[in-house]
Amino acid sequence: MEKNFILAGFGGQGILLAGTILANSFMLEGKNVTWYPCYGAEMRGGTVNCEIVVSDSEVSSVHKQDTDYALVLNQQSFDKFVHRVKSGGTIISNSTLVAESRPRSDIEYVFAPMTQIANELGNSKVTNMAALGVLASVCDVVSKEYLAKGFEKVMAGKKKELLPLNIKALERGYGAHTQAK
Amino acid sequence: MAGSNEKVLIKGNYAIAQAAINAGCQCYFGYPITPQTEIGEYLSAQMPKLGRGYVCAESEIAAINMVLGAAATGVRAMTSSSSLAVALMQEALSYAASDELPIVLVNVMRVGPGLGYIYPAQGDYNQSVYGGGNGDYKIIVLAPATVQECIDFTYRAFYLAQKYRNPVILLADGLLGQMMEPAYFRENPYPEVDVSSWALTGAKNRDSRAIYSLGPDEKKQIQHIYNLFKKFEIIAENETSYEEFETEDADIILTAFGSMTRNIKAAMKVLRSKGIKAGCFRPITLSPFPNKRINELAGQGKDFLVVEMNMGQMFKDVKYSVGGQSRTGLVNRPVGEWLSVEEIVEAVENFMEKSYAASIQYS
Repeated sequence: MEKNFILAGFGGQGILLAGTILANSFMLEGKNVTWYPCYGAEMRGGTVNCEIVVSDSEVSSVHKQDTDYALVLNQQSFDKFVHRVKSGGTIISNSTLVAESRPRSDIEYVFAPMTQIANELGNSKVTNMAALGVLASVCDVVSKEYLAKGFEKVMAGKKKELLPLNIKALERGYGAHTQAK
Repeated sequence: MAGSNEKVLIKGNYAIAQAAINAGCQCYFGYPITPQTEIGEYLSAQMPKLGRGYVCAESEIAAINMVLGAAATGVRAMTSSSSLAVALMQEALSYAASDELPIVLVNVMRVGPGLGYIYPAQGDYNQSVYGGGNGDYKIIVLAPATVQECIDFTYRAFYLAQKYRNPVILLADGLLGQMMEPAYFRENPYPEVDVSSWALTGAKNRDSRAIYSLGPDEKKQIQHIYNLFKKFEIIAENETSYEEFETEDADIILTAFGSMTRNIKAAMKVLRSKGIKAGCFRPITLSPFPNKRINELAGQGKDFLVVEMNMGQMFKDVKYSVGGQSRTGLVNRPVGEWLSVEEIVEAVENFMEKSYAASIQYS
């Protein structure tokens, strides 16, 4: 088994952190994993993305041309990465900021109001955790329990008081989607 | 963070920096450049806490010359940089090799030539292995393929540098520097090296010493260069290292260095599942290069296909090592996404098809 994920959105939406939490969750489950960020002359308000590959054996390639799952938190990322999803793959979109459209017929579309969920919880910064919750509910490889452990690991000693709110966002994201071909 | 079996998800750059601390690096001198700036960033926070030296130099040229100065006193010293800035350091590398100074230079490669850009690439094989400095000298070059190897090879780099009094380059790339992967920090397994016979520590209760590369006496200079090359023969004898996978029954051997290694290993599995007898060969030391082993394998009629992210730099060394005994092919791209498993598989299939007549000739 080897699956790869692209997480993408605006700088500031917590994309790289979400990717780090996801990668940690895989590591804690005992799987092989790599995390690779886009890095370049990025600017505030620009897009950011990272690529995570998880595998039962050695990861075959860290930086791939296509992906099994794309988790996109803004419209630009949807427009860019919808074309990088493998045939039969899934794109999971933040419907608060992404217009529902289905430009290809060979992939699955999942829409969930991730920013809205975060706002309802009183803090838009937990959009990334809501997004990971949605991902866990549509992707067998991703475990909600290990995501929570991954969060604790990444935030260890730093901001423990943020844990309850983030776990709540993860829970609220889980299953908060509509799915269609 | 040493002597732990617990895996942590860590960036290659941070892994190298922490491993340098564990290896007893006393002094770091550097100048920021993407994609390796995290090494200096990490050490700027950690080295002062440990009472060790950190200097953000005014330029790369200054940084590496500071490393030379520190290394001359017998302490473990390093700098890190990237391709175009490593080009600026070539003069100092030539001096360090001639002065027999144990320095460690980490090169996290990006694309060139010239300014290029910050994307990862593998275009500094020639710069590292053959060098851009003047005169006859050799550098030890280690090429890690994973974040775990970034740690383990950093330990080895410091050890080899002091053991042989020779500059060592740890040749990583932007992909390895920027990616995170689970890894652990074992204890530095290498022993301390006694430097008391040559280090410049102040001539108290002993004769004075000097380290210099000026060689006006022709006979002495001839001997000096022969000595350097004799030393490198010993290094080649003792330290040449490589990994090989399923080469025994292989018809074709995929060859790559650094982070491309995992792609050829995955391609080998796909090829095997298709009934093609593929193997993998991966030099760990690019200098000294494992030419003997490649020559041996080629002597058994195995073809080589070199996979690299440059215009065919290691290819020339593989072809030289094969020595015309079998065929050597190249699949490459100068920059961009690392050659995918599918692309490598396709290249092998094409190569084998075209080679049919030729391979009969050699069988």
